[in-house]
Amino acid sequence: MRRVYAIMAFALVLTLVFAACAPAPTQPAVEGEAEVAVPEAAAPEAEPTAIVAQAGTGALELIYWNGLTGSDGATMVEMVEAFTAENPEVSVRVEMMPWNIYFDKLLTSLVSGNPPDLFLLHEFEIPQFASQGVLRETGDFFQEMGGPIPETDIVDYSLEALSYEGNRYGVPLDIHGWGLWYNKDLFEAAGLDPNVCPATGEEYIEMARQLTLDANGNNAASADFDPENVVQWGTAVSWFKVTFLSTIYQFGGDWTDRQGTATLDSEAAAQAAGWWRDLIYEHHVAPQPAGFDSWQSFAGGSLAMITEGSWMLNFNDDAGLNWGVCPYPQIGDQPAVWTSSHVIYTPTSLEGEKLEAAKKLISYISDQGLVWATSGQPSARVSIQEATTMEELPSAKILGQSFQEFGRYDVAHECIQEVILAYEPELDAIYNDVKTLEQGLEDANSRVQDILDRCQ
Amino acid sequence: MLGNYLFVLPFMVFFLTFTVFPVLYAIYMSFHDWAILAKEHPFVGLQNYAFLLRDDFWWLTLRNTLYFAFLTAFLNTVFALIVAIAVHQPIRFRDFYRFIFYAPVVLSVAVMGVVAAWMFNTQFGIVNYYLTWLGLPAVKWLANPNIVIPTLSLATVWWGFGFPMLIYIAGLQGIPGHLYEAARIDGASGLRLTWSITIPLMMPSIFFVAVTQLIAHFKVFGQPYIMTGGGPGRASFTVIMYLYQTAWRFFRMGYGTTIAIGLALVILFFTLVQFRIFGRRSTIEY
Repeated sequence: MRRVYAIMAFALVLTLVFAACAPAPTQPAVEGEAEVAVPEAAAPEAEPTAIVAQAGTGALELIYWNGLTGSDGATMVEMVEAFTAENPEVSVRVEMMPWNIYFDKLLTSLVSGNPPDLFLLHEFEIPQFASQGVLRETGDFFQEMGGPIPETDIVDYSLEALSYEGNRYGVPLDIHGWGLWYNKDLFEAAGLDPNVCPATGEEYIEMARQLTLDANGNNAASADFDPENVVQWGTAVSWFKVTFLSTIYQFGGDWTDRQGTATLDSEAAAQAAGWWRDLIYEHHVAPQPAGFDSWQSFAGGSLAMITEGSWMLNFNDDAGLNWGVCPYPQIGDQPAVWTSSHVIYTPTSLEGEKLEAAKKLISYISDQGLVWATSGQPSARVSIQEATTMEELPSAKILGQSFQEFGRYDVAHECIQEVILAYEPELDAIYNDVKTLEQGLEDANSRVQDILDRCQ
Repeated sequence: MLGNYLFVLPFMVFFLTFTVFPVLYAIYMSFHDWAILAKEHPFVGLQNYAFLLRDDFWWLTLRNTLYFAFLTAFLNTVFALIVAIAVHQPIRFRDFYRFIFYAPVVLSVAVMGVVAAWMFNTQFGIVNYYLTWLGLPAVKWLANPNIVIPTLSLATVWWGFGFPMLIYIAGLQGIPGHLYEAARIDGASGLRLTWSITIPLMMPSIFFVAVTQLIAHFKVFGQPYIMTGGGPGRASFTVIMYLYQTAWRFFRMGYGTTIAIGLALVILFFTLVQFRIFGRRSTIEY
C-alpha cells in the first residue's frame, strides 16, 4: 500500500515538474485541426512603465491619474517632465494604473472627497460623471473665456462632445479610433501588393481569402482549402464593441435611436454583426474568437490583417513587424469609423494656484500633440494633425485623417457602461456560436431597452 | 468580569467596525437607490429585492456560481483527502511532496489566474501542447461554453487543494494508531483500513472542509474575471462579478448590496443544509 501511495505522490509531482519545465509550446492545432508547424508567436517584451512617476521638484504639487499603463504612459510622463522642466515651481506625481483598477480608485477618491488634481477619462463617460456633479466645468480653460486653449483649433465634433447640459467638461487630448493593421510580409508572400489594402468589404473578404492558409498551403480561395486545418488566418474579429459600432454606423444604424429606444434588432445591426460572423463561419477567413489571441497571433505572423486601434503602433514596432495601416474599410453603404478621445478633467474641488497650474499643464499637453502622436494617438488639434507627416508618423497621419473625415463617437449616455456590458457579451455569444445572430441581437436589444427604460 | 471584557475588547472593536457595521450598513443601503456619487439616496423600500427576483442576470450568474461552487468544493474535498492520505504514509520524501502540493496555495489569485489562463490557452497553452503531442485533439478549454466552468474549477483545485490537504493531514495525525493495529491483527487490508477507520474518523475534517470550501467558492471572482472575463458569452459570469459590475461600473451601490445580501442568504441556506446532512456525524469520540 505504501508503495502505491509513493507512486501516486511521485506521479503527481512529475506532472507538476513536466508542466513547469516543458519547452515553450508552439501553437497546437485547434479542435479538429491537424498538428502542423506554425511559427512560434514571439511575445514582444512589454516596455516597463513606472506605476508612479515623479516629475519635477517644485513645491506646488499636482497629482495626475490615468490608465495609460502601456508605452503611451511613458510618452505621457515624458510630456509632463518637459512641462515641469519649463515650470520648475510645479511638480507632478503621475500615477498610472490599469483602467479597471483606475475606475475603482477614482470612484472611491471622488466619494471620499480626496480626488486627484487631474484625471483622464473618455468623452463618452462625461454624462456618467458630470451628472453626479464631480467634474469641474472647464469653459474657462478655453480662449473664448480667457483660458489658454484655442477652441477653434480643436476638431469640431470633439469639442461638441465635451458639452453636457450646457456646460463644457474637460480638454480632449487626442482622437483615437479603429483602423486596419496588416502584415506586409504576409501580403507579399500571398502575391498581394503590400502597399494596397482593402477599401471595401468585398475587397476585404477577397484579400482575407488569399491570406488564409491551411496546412497544405492552400488559401481560402482554393477549391482544395481545408477550413478545419488553418495555420494562417486572413483576419480576426477583435474588440467586439468597436468593430460592431464601426460597421453598424456604415449601414446607417446605431445601438439606439437616441430617443430612448434600443435599435439592436434593426436590419443595420443584423448586417453589421452578420458580416463579421460570416467571416468566421461562412468564408472561413477568421477564427472563432474565444481563446484566440489576436495580438499575439499578429505579432507571431499567423494573422495577416487585424482591425485594431491607433494605439497598436508601439506594440507592432516592438514586435518588429513589417506593418502597414489603412483606414477602416467601407463595409456598409457609407464610410464611418468608431472614434473616442482621451479627455483630461479636473475635479470640482480644485481651485486657487493648483487650478492655474493644472490649466497650464493641460494646455501644455494639448500643445504637445505631436509628441503624444508618437504613441499612435492622433491629436485632437487641427493644426497638429496638419503638421503630422507621413514620413515621421504614418499611422497617426493615415488614421487621424480618416477619423477627421468620417470618425464618429459613441453615444454619450449616463448609463453607457451598463449598455456596453449588456450588448457586448451577446456579440461574444454570436461570434462564438453560442447564440444565433437573431437570438443574440434580440437578447441584446431587450437588455439594452431595459437599461434605457430605467436610466433616462 | 471586567477583565474578561477588556481582553476581548480589541477584537470586538475591529469586528464591530469592519464586519458588523459594514454588514448592517449594506442592509441599509439595499433599501435605497444608492448611486455612489450622488448626493442624495432616495429610500425605495423593497424595490431592489423585487428587481432581484425578476433579474435574469441574477439567476444566470447564480446558476453559474452554484455549478462552479459545488463542483470545485466536491473536487477539492475528495482530491485533497486522497492526496492527504497518500502523503500521510511513511513514504520517502514525504515532506517534499507536502511542500510541493501546498506551494500553489501561496500564489495570489491574480498570479494563479494569469498562469492558468496561459496553461489552458487554446492556441499557446501547455495543456493543449501535451494533448497534441500525445496525438489527441486540442480542446477549447476556456472558449467552449460547456466546459469553461469545469476548466475554471480544475484550475482552482490545482491552486487550492493544498489548504484542505493540510487540514486533512492534521486530522489524520489525530487518529489513534492502535485502531489500525487492531484492525490489521483482524486481517484488514489497506483499503479496508482507509474505508472503515480513516474515512469515518475523518468526518469532522471532511465536514469542515466541505462547508468552508463551498462558502469560499460561492464567492468566486478572480478566476473568471482574469481567465475568461465571464465568457464566452456569459457562460462563466458569476454573482460576485455581477455585483462588482453593478456597484463599481454602473455606480448602483444600492442594487449591488442587494445582490450581496441575496448571495449571503443562498450561502446560508446551503450551509444549513450541509449542517443537517453532516452535522450528526461531525463529532467523534474515541
